Amino acid sequence: MTRARLPLYAFLILLLVGFLAPLVWALSGSFKPRGEIFGYPPELLPDPFTLDNYRTLLTEQSFGRWFLMSTVVAVVATVVSVFVCALAGYGFAKFRFAGKQLLFNVMFSSLSIPFAVILVPLFVILVKTGLGSPWFALIVPWVAPAFGIFMMQQYIVQSIPDSVLEAARIDGASEFGVFRTIVLPLLRPSLGALGVWQFLQSYNSFLWPLVLVSDSSQYTLPLGLQTLFVSEQRQYDLVLAGAVLAVLPAVALFVLLRKQLLEGLSTGAVKG
Amino acid sequence: MTTTVAGPPGAARARSAPKEEERRPRRSWAPYLFISPFYLLYALFMLVPVGVSVWLSLTEWVGLGAPRWVGLRNYRLLATDISFHRALGNTAVFVLVAVCLVVPLALLIAQALNTRGLRVRDLWRTAYFVPIVVSPILVALVFGLVFDRQFGLANAVLRALFGSGGVDWLGDPDLARVSIALVMLWRWTGYLTVFFLAGLQNVPRELYEAAALDGAGRLRTFTTVTLPALKPVTAFVVVTSFICAAQIFEEPYLLTGGGPAESTLSVTMFIYRAAFQRQQFGYAAAAAVVLFVLVFGISRLVNRLLGIGRAAS
Repeated sequence: MTRARLPLYAFLILLLVGFLAPLVWALSGSFKPRGEIFGYPPELLPDPFTLDNYRTLLTEQSFGRWFLMSTVVAVVATVVSVFVCALAGYGFAKFRFAGKQLLFNVMFSSLSIPFAVILVPLFVILVKTGLGSPWFALIVPWVAPAFGIFMMQQYIVQSIPDSVLEAARIDGASEFGVFRTIVLPLLRPSLGALGVWQFLQSYNSFLWPLVLVSDSSQYTLPLGLQTLFVSEQRQYDLVLAGAVLAVLPAVALFVLLRKQLLEGLSTGAVKG
Repeated sequence: MTTTVAGPPGAARARSAPKEEERRPRRSWAPYLFISPFYLLYALFMLVPVGVSVWLSLTEWVGLGAPRWVGLRNYRLLATDISFHRALGNTAVFVLVAVCLVVPLALLIAQALNTRGLRVRDLWRTAYFVPIVVSPILVALVFGLVFDRQFGLANAVLRALFGSGGVDWLGDPDLARVSIALVMLWRWTGYLTVFFLAGLQNVPRELYEAAALDGAGRLRTFTTVTLPALKPVTAFVVVTSFICAAQIFEEPYLLTGGGPAESTLSVTMFIYRAAFQRQQFGYAAAAAVVLFVLVFGISRLVNRLLGIGRAAS
């Protein structure tokens, strides 16, 4: 039995190495001095080991500010979008109304609109209307992802029975009251899933901040690191340390909430 | 799972066992309020920009002053722009990599992870998913190091295995595309695996047992039981990876800058370059409209063929 499984586990371990080795190598490189990052043969353990990259990054660069900018933007965008998606998902899951199929199709088909199409016009519109501030433009246009609504709708259909809602209505709760006191608490696992996903999307987003943010005091992490990389003549030491620090919270968040996220993500696709 | 649009109250009551909600008139406005925030944002930040894009594509504009109407000239220029043709071709290659390599590999890994009694399934699944969680900046840095001609990990491995490894991964047009494809495989496979795995776990065991009783081999079981049961997931995964790959930007922008000789230039990079590096906003908008028509048209067609997105109930 176990022997028959050997090729399977060998395959899985090979994949594990393939997926994680580049990241481990990056982690190791961030503790190497500039000259050693490209050492040959490549060394897994940094020798000599140094914290200088991190020290220089944190003291001489605006890393803290980039991090704050990215985190605040991502948190606000996440909270708002989870709420908007839960509202709309509930509307589609538990009500019958005129035009529902059409409205649903419109929502669903927006998944097929490539971001590149609205990149230029959205930039032009926001700048011309004076709404180009990162606090607005990095958050507001992205708080209603159709994917999130679809996910919420699927989850509500599967896991919230009509009888619970009906009981609350008979008790005299308003429609929004039912949503707030009954639906939202029952939705917690999938809110967590959508929340992590939205956070990661916003935290890692690159193209839109690249286009939008010109003031270096408002750079997000990916943008700050990219600029640093270019200004350092593509030297890896500082940027590698910065990228490792930037990635740690995202990976930690994912590993903590992986169960909800992985199950939540696949809910829609499996049943849809 | 199709929805009937609510008819007049009498009609609703005529159906067997009408639900409570259908009889109450005060419910009528509630669903519209629940979905309205989405449609407000959708109109402002999706429909309006798409409309503006179409209008801009018919003008010439450097970003200052008033756009000048030029009719279909931008589209005529695109039709003969060799860079745009390259961008379309490269993007098609990336789409093929996503749909024909990443998706099947994800299915294969999901099959392996779905083995009964597999140990630490959560560990494998989580580890494979990590690359999609990682910031694109780190991805670019790491693979810049991996594919470095002199000191990179890729050549070091080749040298250890075959004794020679002077491969110019990012400097040769074809190899640069291969490099981007490898990064796509690394970044997206584990993400798509999760969907397939969930789909596989949903296939009723009895179906496999019945197939086994019929004496079906592994391949027969896969084609007659697994694949049909996975149809909705596969449709979702194929469409999602198609849309993602069709607008690929970060991997080529950060890793190769679209080079060498535009061999990894994607359509989204073409749009970005035209608008924000060359101030040709009208031209960029025209390229964007072309991309929109292609992506929207193809993905709606695939959706229709494979039958997803119809479920609203």
